[in-house]
Amino acid sequence: MGRFLFRRATSSLSVLALSVVLVFMSIRILPGDPVLAKLGAATEVTPAALKALREEAGLNRPLLVQLFSWITHALHGDLGVSYFSQFKVTQLVTERIPVTLELTFFIILIAVIFSLILAPLSALRPGSIVDRVIGYFTSFGLSVPGFVIGIIFILIFSLKLQWLPSRGFTPISESVFENLKLMILPSITGGLTATPYLVRYLRASMLEIKQSPFVRTAEGKGLSNIRILFRHILPNSLVPTLTMLGLIVGYTLSGVVVIEYMFGLPGIGSLAIESSFKRDYSVIQGVALTIISFFIFTTFVFDVLCGIVDPRLQLAKGSQGEP
Amino acid sequence: MKSALIVNGLSLSVPSARGRVAVVDDISFDIPTGSKVGLVGESGSGKSLTAYSLMRLIKDPVRIDQGEIFVGGKEILGMKLKEFRQMRGNDISMIYQDPMSALNPIMRIGTQIIESIQLRAGVNRLQARKIAIELLASVGIPEPDRRIDSYPFEMSGGMLQRVVIAIALSGEPKLLIADEATTALDVTTQARVLTLVDKLAAERGLSVLLITHDLGVAAQFSDEIMVMYSGKIVERGLVSQIFSNPVHPYTKALLNSRCDYTIDVTKPINSIAGQPPRPDNRPEGCVFSPRCVHVQPQCRQEVPPLISIQDRLSACFRAEELFEVGMVK
Amino acid sequence: MNRRRRFSFSGFLILLILGICVAAPLLSPYDPYAIGVADPFSGPSAKNWMGADDLGRDLLSRILYGGRITILIAMAATAIALLIGTLWGLTAGVRRGWIDEFLMRTADAVMAIPQILFGLVAISALGASVISLPIVVGILLSPTTARMARSAVVTELASDYVVAAVASGTKRSRLIISEIMPNIAPQLLVQLSINAAAAVMLEATLSFIGLGIQPPNASWGTLMLQGYAKIWNTYWFVFFPAMAVTITILAFNSYGERIRISMDSRRSSV
Repeated sequence: MGRFLFRRATSSLSVLALSVVLVFMSIRILPGDPVLAKLGAATEVTPAALKALREEAGLNRPLLVQLFSWITHALHGDLGVSYFSQFKVTQLVTERIPVTLELTFFIILIAVIFSLILAPLSALRPGSIVDRVIGYFTSFGLSVPGFVIGIIFILIFSLKLQWLPSRGFTPISESVFENLKLMILPSITGGLTATPYLVRYLRASMLEIKQSPFVRTAEGKGLSNIRILFRHILPNSLVPTLTMLGLIVGYTLSGVVVIEYMFGLPGIGSLAIESSFKRDYSVIQGVALTIISFFIFTTFVFDVLCGIVDPRLQLAKGSQGEP
Repeated sequence: MKSALIVNGLSLSVPSARGRVAVVDDISFDIPTGSKVGLVGESGSGKSLTAYSLMRLIKDPVRIDQGEIFVGGKEILGMKLKEFRQMRGNDISMIYQDPMSALNPIMRIGTQIIESIQLRAGVNRLQARKIAIELLASVGIPEPDRRIDSYPFEMSGGMLQRVVIAIALSGEPKLLIADEATTALDVTTQARVLTLVDKLAAERGLSVLLITHDLGVAAQFSDEIMVMYSGKIVERGLVSQIFSNPVHPYTKALLNSRCDYTIDVTKPINSIAGQPPRPDNRPEGCVFSPRCVHVQPQCRQEVPPLISIQDRLSACFRAEELFEVGMVK
Repeated sequence: MNRRRRFSFSGFLILLILGICVAAPLLSPYDPYAIGVADPFSGPSAKNWMGADDLGRDLLSRILYGGRITILIAMAATAIALLIGTLWGLTAGVRRGWIDEFLMRTADAVMAIPQILFGLVAISALGASVISLPIVVGILLSPTTARMARSAVVTELASDYVVAAVASGTKRSRLIISEIMPNIAPQLLVQLSINAAAAVMLEATLSFIGLGIQPPNASWGTLMLQGYAKIWNTYWFVFFPAMAVTITILAFNSYGERIRISMDSRRSSV
């Protein structure tokens, strides 16, 4: 188990490192000057003043030096300072992360619940009406942008029925009820965006497993179809699906950005968007690092979960069989 | 009950470019209670499919077109599937070709046996576990109380096959079907497993249908042998009779083409000229006629029925002749 | 071998959409920038088939012209993704060794970056324009194409006809161009379709959060942004562009699926 963990960890870390470097480089290399943006077109800017500001922000140093400096600080929990508000980025991020985490959690929960209902229904009798209808919904769901789903819900539940508010946020500490009420629409929106991918994948996985010889053995024992589906097929399908779920978390983190913006939730997604408008690279970097790390960490966790569900995966090449 | 299994006019078909074609063509046979019958044939002869029909494990695109199957006197093809499921494992049971893939890879073998046990007896988990350990011991697995918690990938092929046998017998069936149960094993393990099944069959009064392409295995194990070719049963008889005096040209040719240490290594191996026909391309008349050395014009026009010669069966117009000739030798 | 040419509805739909967008100037009843041709926020009527927006501009015309921009950006992005991705994947698949490892790890890294986030970062630096958007979206979509191209090349290189050709002295580069590319063309086509769908989705999303095409120009995403802001006045404003986007994405996805299915069946029947 230890060796398995080690290998997975090193793999994840290397991907993380590469992504971080990529993000950092893209920001620095691309044109667009944060200092200029900050100053705006208002005043006459002397080259000297510009240079001074740049030095103050540390933008004059060679790229690699900037990168290393930033990474070292980041490892110490210091993500720098926002160019605009002079707040520490770390503070901004930590303030807003709980919202994003709560949202992401609900989204994944909803997606998993829906998928665990729809996929087995489809796989139980492939080609049946149930299966085909679910298939149409999946195809459709994949083609609808997440925010469109959000718009539809807002139209129905906020505009027409006036049941739920369409914007705003109340922290749990203040009122659990209000918090949940405001979370319902965004969570379902995100959940419905992620569900089609998961259902498709789980269904395909289950149908493939259905062809396996051990399913025939289970039938030969006299087990009922439902029991075979849930006790034999589903667990075996979970393994590849868990990996997929890790990816889905990634997609969700992407979608979370838009959802937070749409529904007015003060999470790190909306922070990222606000900062983009202001070209506040410092904050963008910090948010990017946080989100990417989170994603890679989640994939890592899911990989480990895979190893637990399917003990075979823990072995290195070749197994220790006995004569 | 005279016969543990009776099959009447069973036909299976698959779709092809020319519509559905038969892969099992109107076969009938029975297995007397307590006997061991071997069903021998090459790949594609339809023997495995026959076995699966007995358990109603036939799936699309293969279909059962007609036939009756009586297991322990009850006709199973007409039953509702829900009713038949009760019989699976209880009256009729099956062991499979590749033990490595026949078991759920992420479930402990103990759980897989206990699942089967709990399906029938109203025992709690603890009791079921005890029964499972006894079962494992009876199939010759050492340290069953430890092994019961192993995963399939931790065990060897021979051991896994024993587990499969244990599962098959957990419901105390009267009829056991072994589908190429030893094909995936090495020769030594093969012998051990066959001996085990033999012992268990004798102990429990089982009737066994052994499906195999290996004449030697069939001979070792069975009392009687049925030979199958291209979807039809072409000969049936006691092992000794078949081997000493086969009365179907196909069986004769099969026996002729065996390789063992007694053959002359300087001569080329006897093989049967030609190939078995594709299901959608069967010849008129006797299905073996294109490759038969004893062929006559009649063979190409009419399908030979199963004729009785003494207490044997053969689907050949010249069976009597072959019998006489063989007796002389 | 019987080749049944079945009418592909999704393929037809794609052509229709492309055609409409190209012919927008001919088809649109009004000037999309003309203010006040109808009552603001009016719904569909005989005069304005899709109603009008907050400034009284005819929505149908705006959508037709908006489609031009969206489709243009999506097509450009898809082309860029195809180009970069194929080169990426081919290089990795042909060279193997540590180049392969490095290139594919980089692909993993790019895929690990949540798409909107990357778009956010890049657009905020580059600014949103008809040039920058396709490049950003194209880069985002290239790793999946690269993956697919690499595995396709690796499979082909291992197949008999290639081994035989190499053994008889054919240069690998020639092989790639003349033999391998045509063989992986169907897979590339599937990828193209799926990428086009994703490109439309990405462009719409980026524009919707304000990081895409800016007013007064409007892609479908921008229209939805404007429509969403005025959703309390009328929902038609946001409804029609949303339909347009969804139908387009559906068409591309279905077409890609179609090709993939027919590819699979052809392979298994051989």
